[in-house]
Amino acid sequence: MKMDIKPTVLIIEDEEAISNFISAVLTSNNYQVIKAKTGKEGLSLFTSHIPDIILLDLGLPDMDGVEILKNIRSWSKIPIIVVSARGHEREKVAALDLGADDYIVKPFGTPELLARIRTAMRHSLEAASLRGKEVDQFTVGNLEINYSKRLVFREGEPIHLTPIEYKILVLLSRNAGKVLTHDFIIREIWGIYTDESHTLRVNMANIRRKIEANPGNPQYILTEMGVGYRMVEELGE
Amino acid sequence: MDKNDQRPDPDEILENIQSQMTKPAGKLKIFFGYAAGVGKTYAMLDDAQDRFRSGMDVLVGYIEPHTRPETMGKLQGLPLLLPKTVSYRNIELKEFDLDEALRRKPELILVDELAHTNGESGRNKKRYQDIEELLAAGIDVYTTVNVQHMESLNDVIENITNIRVQETVPDHIFDRAEEIKLVDIEPEELLRRLEGGKIYRPERAKTATQNFFTRENLRLLREIALRCTADKISLDNQSQRSLSNKMANTKMLVCIGPSPSSAKCIRWTARAADAFHASFTALYVEDARGERLTKEQQKTIQENVELAETLGAEIVNLTGHDLAVVISEYAKLSGITNIVVGKSRNKKTLKSLFETDLEDKLISLLPTIEVHIIPGNPGKRKYKKPRKNLNRESLHLSWGDSIKTLSILVLATLLSYGFHRLNILNQNIIMVYIFSVLLISRVTEGYVYGIVSSVISVLTFNFFFTEPYFTLAAIQSGYPLTFLIMLLVAFITSTMTVRIKSEAKLAVKREHRTEVLYEINKGFLATRGLEKIVALTNDYIIRLFDCSIVFFTIDPEHGEDGYVMQAPDDFDASILNSPDEKAVAHWVFLNQKRAGAGTDTLMGAAAFYMPVISQGKVLAVWGISSLKGKLDHDTRLFLRMIASQAAMALERQKLSDEQNKIMLDSEKERMRSTLLRAISHDLRTPLAGILGSSSAILENKHPLDEATRNSLIANIQEESQWLIRMVENLLSVTRINENASNLVTNPEAAEEVVGEAVSRIKHRFPHREIKVIVPEEYLEVPMDGTLIVQVLINLLENGIKYSPDDTPVELHLKKNGERAEFFVMDQGNGISNEEFPYLFSGNKPSGTKSSDSARGLGIGLSICKTIVNAHGGELTAKNRDDKGAVFRLTLPLKGSE
Repeated sequence: MKMDIKPTVLIIEDEEAISNFISAVLTSNNYQVIKAKTGKEGLSLFTSHIPDIILLDLGLPDMDGVEILKNIRSWSKIPIIVVSARGHEREKVAALDLGADDYIVKPFGTPELLARIRTAMRHSLEAASLRGKEVDQFTVGNLEINYSKRLVFREGEPIHLTPIEYKILVLLSRNAGKVLTHDFIIREIWGIYTDESHTLRVNMANIRRKIEANPGNPQYILTEMGVGYRMVEELGE
Repeated sequence: MDKNDQRPDPDEILENIQSQMTKPAGKLKIFFGYAAGVGKTYAMLDDAQDRFRSGMDVLVGYIEPHTRPETMGKLQGLPLLLPKTVSYRNIELKEFDLDEALRRKPELILVDELAHTNGESGRNKKRYQDIEELLAAGIDVYTTVNVQHMESLNDVIENITNIRVQETVPDHIFDRAEEIKLVDIEPEELLRRLEGGKIYRPERAKTATQNFFTRENLRLLREIALRCTADKISLDNQSQRSLSNKMANTKMLVCIGPSPSSAKCIRWTARAADAFHASFTALYVEDARGERLTKEQQKTIQENVELAETLGAEIVNLTGHDLAVVISEYAKLSGITNIVVGKSRNKKTLKSLFETDLEDKLISLLPTIEVHIIPGNPGKRKYKKPRKNLNRESLHLSWGDSIKTLSILVLATLLSYGFHRLNILNQNIIMVYIFSVLLISRVTEGYVYGIVSSVISVLTFNFFFTEPYFTLAAIQSGYPLTFLIMLLVAFITSTMTVRIKSEAKLAVKREHRTEVLYEINKGFLATRGLEKIVALTNDYIIRLFDCSIVFFTIDPEHGEDGYVMQAPDDFDASILNSPDEKAVAHWVFLNQKRAGAGTDTLMGAAAFYMPVISQGKVLAVWGISSLKGKLDHDTRLFLRMIASQAAMALERQKLSDEQNKIMLDSEKERMRSTLLRAISHDLRTPLAGILGSSSAILENKHPLDEATRNSLIANIQEESQWLIRMVENLLSVTRINENASNLVTNPEAAEEVVGEAVSRIKHRFPHREIKVIVPEEYLEVPMDGTLIVQVLINLLENGIKYSPDDTPVELHLKKNGERAEFFVMDQGNGISNEEFPYLFSGNKPSGTKSSDSARGLGIGLSICKTIVNAHGGELTAKNRDDKGAVFRLTLPLKGSE
């Protein structure tokens, strides 16, 4: 019985060394692993095995990783984590905007990888089971957000936020653990056709001054340089 | 594949190179005949048919519509370019469509009638200019022309046929032809054709036989045509031979003036120079009284200068009083061997008895130089020598001068009367009068008052002061002689005074020009930078000519704007950057010739465009607004002098730019190789570590205990982490690509950058304390966030490495005026004095320290420095007062630049 509920991970990665290492880590952490070396193979393995999560390398020899992402997203909501190299921020943003759930930057450590996979799977499960059902509260470290009362507490003390700041904080907290791109946040808060990146950064600076102990070393909302923001699920990540 | 890596497509590069390479010019073939009807067009079409059949892309650009049916039959099958219809004074004219032809770009184009003059609407005044453009575009051209249209033969033909041909083609067109195909038939045959109505309609044929198509004319024309072709062939044959000797030996000079016969001299000289393979110079001596030339004469001079230019002469403009002296001085200085002067057969006048002729003077001044005299056309055209006009000009009377003259004379008479009453001798009275004449010449314009007053003084002297008084009769026998001498003295004094005056004026004018040129030159010498050169030139031209100017330093092929400067009292200069004007400038860039208002090409333009050429390359084009009126010859000449100065300045600028680029490149190259050396050295150590550790684990499985194995694996991990950081640093460098303009900056919140750097460094060193202080104020800095994070990580890592584990590393962010300042501080041992000089160079001298101790430091910091410099920021280091080192990084804030 226990064998059957092992989640299946599809790794689409052309570098054998990386693929091997991920596979080793995941197997020893109770995942079932399928490996694909090319995009085509990945797509066919995906349709035949229907895995629970996909780790997708964007630089594949036969086709663009973004194309695979589009292809899968056109008919499946399976969580996809994009694996990419540092410095390719535009690529990451594009992947996230196309529906990737998260990304992880090469080179990465084992705990980081496992945490990302856990988060992505939990979000997809929540989305499936808790659809329509609102959680009332979000807590991380000393930060507490009460959605129904629209109140935010730090160390038990209520903090005053502007409506926009509150909306941003709610958006991030509801997607805690996930990186949200600048564009996504702007779209959600201000609407689709505005360029409010400056306003977003200023708002974020204000939020941090209110909720963080040291805005220069944030605990709750982390910056993903050139990509977006991520709210932590638990402190000390 | 790295998607950010946008490597240029090799095909594209190749294409660019090909388009940049100068296209070979097209080849010109001229079908040459001695009269209409010899069959030039037929022969041309015949040849084209052959080419067409052999697969060449042939296009018939233009064929005269009145072409004979047999010839029209030859058109069969050839692709035709439709002529464009132009209405001119309500008459519909068919013209050759140059733009369409250039667009269509065939391999070979046929354009009939080389000597044709285009309608007003065309870009070029003459068809040969169209053809030059076609050739410049790399298209081969076939065309036809008759011998009487040759510019240099114009007079000769006129003498034979008594018909002046208006439509002429400059000889250089003929000379540049790759091939001259002489189409020749017997004059008798031609006449038979004419009579048969094959050339003109019968009624026209009759007038034609009476005027032009006489048997004798045709024979002569034929002879000229044959000789002309033979000359061309012999020229081609000789051109292989070295001509330099001959060219150095013979140097011809033709003197041109406002007389129409000058044109004849120019043509003759051009032919002679051609025959001698010599260069020739056209010299125009501006007289001291040059301003007094009539408009018509100025126009003739302008035409003559242009004619000389089209015939390939170098134009020299000098100013002086004595024509012969000026010519001889110039000839001596520039090593002229032959001088050509024109001579009109004037009626012998009394004056000419006393004057030496120009040619005689020249011969006496230049005994070694050959002087050729070309007779002018006797009495054919109404032409007056300028001197006569000058005299009329100087006869011009003004009230002011007349009153001055009169009052001076009256005063002189009164004074003399006083002397006379005091019985002072008559000699003194004569002196008074001569003095008054001198005075009059000084204060009045021209010769006339001086001369008149000399006569009047003699008469008044005679009338008032000689016996019998108050009559014009003189008793004393010596008086007539006195009068004569007095008259002569007065006369000579007055003329000399006037001459001195005019020379002084001239000297002032010349001085002014020289001064301006000198000033411009000085300005150019002191100026660095293209824009400053342009501004200086524009400024001077506006000050000198009061015309707006546009200055194109690059070909406005793709609509690039020129630098426009508005003259205060000119029309709106912004039109000089309109697409139409740019098209003219573009044409000038391509053709290296002047164009626009006042020229033969694109005369509808608002400005006169001239190229600034150096060593056969157009460095710039400037356009001088001609909205207020066309520029005169003088202005153009002066402009050309300024252009040559500007060309030098631009050339110098270009050279210094190139030199800078080379220096920059070599500096980059040096940096690159330093980096490469350092990297390969630094990479070796960790790689050796990884290899050693891993092989120890793999090959010695059994003897290794758990702890040893773990430490080996930890070694591998550590070394590879180091390698990864190194590679990331290197990637950052390639990202800037050693070129700040490649840097893509976005406004980023400085504190977020700090946060990112700190969180990443904490990830690696979880147990190390890092103190972060950011200001309350929100700071936005334009930057490439990833790169600056990289810099901060490097600095933090250095701090961590070079200070004890139990001390904190601090990162402070501050605002300082218009800059954001980041401080990274540690409490280690600081930077040693030996290290300081090499801290950021990545080039530590070998042997001072073991490479391991400062591993990565040099390169890391040098990369940081490169990144920060590319952002327009600063990276400095110093030791703290108490303990440790502090690195200060400043970046300009948003909107501070």
